[in-house]
Order: sequence, then structure tokens, then C-alpha cells
Amino acid sequence: MDQGNLLTIPVVPWKVESVGNSHSQLLLEFYDREQTPLRRYVTMLGIDPETARDIVQESFLKLHEHLLAGGEQSNLRAWLYRVVHNSARNRQASFGVKKTSRLEDMTPAASPVARELTAEEELLEKERSARLRQAMGRLSEAQRACVVLRTQGMKYREIAAALDLSVSTVGENIQRGLERLRELI
Amino acid sequence: MNCERLDWDLLVRAVDKELSPAEEQLVETHLGKCAQCRREFAEVAHFSRKIAEAVNDIAVVEDSGDRERLAAQINRHELLKPVRQIAPAQVMRRFGWGMAIAATLALGIIFAPKQSNSTSGNVSVRQQASVASAIEVDGETFVALPYSNPDLPASAPRIVQMQVPVSSLADIGIAMTPVSNVVLNQDRSVLADVLLGADGQPLGVHVVSWE
Repeated sequence: MDQGNLLTIPVVPWKVESVGNSHSQLLLEFYDREQTPLRRYVTMLGIDPETARDIVQESFLKLHEHLLAGGEQSNLRAWLYRVVHNSARNRQASFGVKKTSRLEDMTPAASPVARELTAEEELLEKERSARLRQAMGRLSEAQRACVVLRTQGMKYREIAAALDLSVSTVGENIQRGLERLRELI
Repeated sequence: MNCERLDWDLLVRAVDKELSPAEEQLVETHLGKCAQCRREFAEVAHFSRKIAEAVNDIAVVEDSGDRERLAAQINRHELLKPVRQIAPAQVMRRFGWGMAIAATLALGIIFAPKQSNSTSGNVSVRQQASVASAIEVDGETFVALPYSNPDLPASAPRIVQMQVPVSSLADIGIAMTPVSNVVLNQDRSVLADVLLGADGQPLGVHVVSWE
């Protein structure tokens, strides 16, 4: 290409008409699948539900930027959890305990199983879940994060990638976390 | 736990299906003959399910508006970040660049003979070589963005080809001069190679073709 085709680009940032939409579809499919577990995860880190929603929304925007910039796509789930985790920690640092939530107070979701239980059984189940969430609030941050990610069906290596830990440390956190929960319940 | 062979760690990892083949063999064999460990294994599995239920029991209020907003932002490409955050100290430098470009343009218009470096169809692109410096990558020459350092190209540059609207180019002051009587449609776009640095920020641009 000869020099005559070159443009002088001034200092103002420019807009791009299109960079292809393949990643956009990927991102929205990912959003449909992961946003609810992500919000639960952030909530379990002690963030109030409304802030959790903002954090997750912002994280998907960051994922969009990541994809636009040609970032690594091999483990986007772990990438997303890492971003969400770090955002949650930053928020906690910025507003302290003012907007954090008591885990045992989280509103339980209506489930088909719950409807089949008697009112008394349902109440007992809710109490049990609330006690468990309360106990999880007493785990160390790393143990809680590992235990919660485990409940979302993540393998240890995925959790390790998301939390920037070794696989063996993830195993230890889960093991000790479960032991501690059993003691507390 | 009374059994000495299967500790808590093995049982938890067995429930999570995180055992090595050798460990899996050991656990399977042992569970086959040890009722106490089978009960313990079942307890760990049950307890794990209860923990998962406690987490998944948290209500998440779904709002379809969230997804629509995300989709809209993607479609509008609002997230293509500005190439750099402008620090206050850079503002004057950028202003200086703007003045330099304006001065070069003015001098070119007044003194230089009409110069069309290259044409395709009805459009030419005017180059301000006196302002821009070039970056060579893989034999391709990119005009360096004024705030990039052409002497320090990124360690792992990438080249992305993209359509850039003429109107956007006009917004940012790039002159695309018609060389015939045909009026340039501002909806048109040009195909350009954009050199991205390791941090994903554009370092330079090379217009490939235009309609």
C-alpha cells in the first residue's frame, strides 16, 4: 500500500462502525446463562442485591470490551467470576459494611420443591437455609468464595482460575469450609 | 472419622469428582467394603446439596430491561473505549497538535498545488505527512496516532481491519476530498487496518480502501 492511502488521524477518539457481531451473540448467550448465578455469588460475598445487580451488569460490559480487544476466550466463565469477585471486593472496600447484606436475611426464591412441602416443612427448610447462609458468612472470604463457586457446579481448576488460587488451595478451602460449616450447623 | 483410610479431604473430592484415577480406584474399592465410609460419603453429598440449595435459594429479581440495555449498548458500540483517557496535562499538548494540523492544512491549501495522493472511485484522501509519523509492521505502514510513540511500537501488535464511517472521520477532522463533482456520501465508510498495541489501544491506522 503506497503512502498516498494513509490518513492523518487527529487526537480525538474515533468511532468504529462495525467490528463484527459474533462476540455480541456469544456475550448475550453467556449473560442469559450466567447472570443469575453471578448475582447469587456476589450476594453471598455480602453485597446487597441491588449493588450485586450493578456489579454483574458492569462485568458483562467489561467482558464486551475484553472481547472487542481480542482478549483470551478460552475460559470466559472464570474470567467473568474473577472480574465480578474483584468488583465486589472493591465495592466492599469503598462502602464498608453499610450496604452489605446479612446472608441469613436473603429472600428465598420460590421453588417447585418448596410448593410440594407442607407449610411447616417449608418453614423448616427456609430456617435451615438461612442458618446455612448465616454460617457461610462466618467462613473466611476465600473459603466462602470457594464453597459458593462449588455450589455453582464449577470444577476446582475453574475456581482456581476465577480466584487466582492454586487448585490445591481451592481443595483445602472447600474442605475446611465444609468442615467449619458442619461444626456451625 | 473412625475409618483410617478415607479422610474428609478424599470424601469431599470424591463427591466433587475431583479425584485422580488412582484415588478414585482407592475410594471405590474402599466404599465397596466399608459401610461407615459409605454413610460418611452420603452425608457429605447430602450436606453439599443442602449448601447448594441455600445458595440457590436466594431470590434474584429478573429484569428483562437489563438484558435489553446490555444488547443496546453492544449494538451502539458505546463500549469502544476512547483510545486514551485524557489527563489534564495532555490537553494542552493535544490542543497543540490540533493547532499544528490546522496550520499545516492552511499552508497546504494556500501554497501547495492540488495534491491527490491516491484515488479510488470519486474520493481522494489527503495526507498530512508533515504531521504524522509512520509505524512499520509486517511491511505495512501505519500513520501513528498523535499520542502514540512510533519509536516504541507495542511488543505484540495486532492488526484489526474495520469499517470506519466517513462521517466519523469527518467528525474528528479527517479530510476526504472528492476529486470529481460527485458529492461524497457521508454514510459511506472506509476500510482501515488499525494497529493495536498490547493493551488493545490503537497505535496507528492505515486506510485500505474506500467505495
